[in-house]
Amino acid sequence: MKEDLPDAVSSMPVKEFDRKFGFVAYGLLILIIIFSTYLHHFQPQILSVPSMIDVSTWHNPTLEQTNIYDRMTEAERQKIMTEGIPGRGILRVVFDTQGDWMAFLLAALCFLHARRHYGFWMASCFLIGSFVFTGLQESIAILLGRFTAGAAYVDAAKQVTYGTYFFCKGSLWFIETPVAVCLSWFYIAYSCVWTAGKVFAKMGILGRATIGGLTAMGIDLWLDPVATSPEFMQWVWAKGDLIRILGINHSNFVGWFLLIFWFAILWEWLPALVRKWGHFKASIIFFSIVLASDIAMLIVLVLYNTYVVRGLLALLGLKQGIQIPIGW
Amino acid sequence: MLSKIWKNRLEFYPFLCMYLFWFLGSFVSSLRVENRPGIVALGLITIPSLTLITIAAVKTYKELLLTGDTNE
Repeated sequence: MKEDLPDAVSSMPVKEFDRKFGFVAYGLLILIIIFSTYLHHFQPQILSVPSMIDVSTWHNPTLEQTNIYDRMTEAERQKIMTEGIPGRGILRVVFDTQGDWMAFLLAALCFLHARRHYGFWMASCFLIGSFVFTGLQESIAILLGRFTAGAAYVDAAKQVTYGTYFFCKGSLWFIETPVAVCLSWFYIAYSCVWTAGKVFAKMGILGRATIGGLTAMGIDLWLDPVATSPEFMQWVWAKGDLIRILGINHSNFVGWFLLIFWFAILWEWLPALVRKWGHFKASIIFFSIVLASDIAMLIVLVLYNTYVVRGLLALLGLKQGIQIPIGW
Repeated sequence: MLSKIWKNRLEFYPFLCMYLFWFLGSFVSSLRVENRPGIVALGLITIPSLTLITIAAVKTYKELLLTGDTNE
């Protein structure tokens, strides 16, 4: 892709632009992370961060209103009630098998790969773009659930909801999403889209983005039930989704696919944007589209969850939500 | 073969990331989950994704054999 850029763009003082872009973009991101981390750990009352020690204080959802509660044995419930979320010390949060270290290391490896193939600017646009795109999407969904109890679903579809979900563990935070999760989105999206491009080299962007999204979703089908089990509780889901797959709200898997699919398409527009507008304007346009897409994606997911899913269930003659497989 | 891969290890980083993420985040972690019969076997659901990643890794290796080292 880097090779596709015309001479006019290639001959620009790219290193000088890269330096300024890196300073501003990473600087802003780091400031937001520092502020969010401070809020999360030291001023939890501002965003009503749920306590990881005393789970009886949870609200929207309470422990009883989470998917995991129904799947717990009585002994597991008592353990959570008395001891709090498992593995919440900083060393466990960072160095566990699902700890933050993995996200930081793997994101760094993928960034090096992206920089080699696409240059610093495009690699950074993928890293920061996917980080903000997914981190903002997750944070909005979490905060809407926490402060409105999923009122959008209640109003639109007379659906009983208890919130959405929230993350329990993280060292650094981007609003209410752990930085490790945002970085995981980056390296999973990058690796899966790269894999799709490698295997189906002649396929167009729509096909590659679709396969990349499905590849990531396939991996997530196993990861999520493990990560949300009582042994880890990396995050918890509120009850209320009409379709639950493997104990996870199905909108999670739809979200995985859609976010990676759409971001891959956005990112591949970058060379065209540079050709037309130059690096500076292309950066502004790209990040504006990323932010606008966040809002659009949220509306799409709410409409999908209320009207499409409910309509589908009504067509099938089902009056209640379904679980696939039953008992999970 | 191994020296060739090591010499061009950067080309394999995306695949390495997914293998590591799958192995530690899902497989090793699933072994620690109790009271969830079938949670380890559930990993079979990831076979299509892993197959695709493996095909991409093999294809990358074959391309390296044809084109030579990328960092030369």
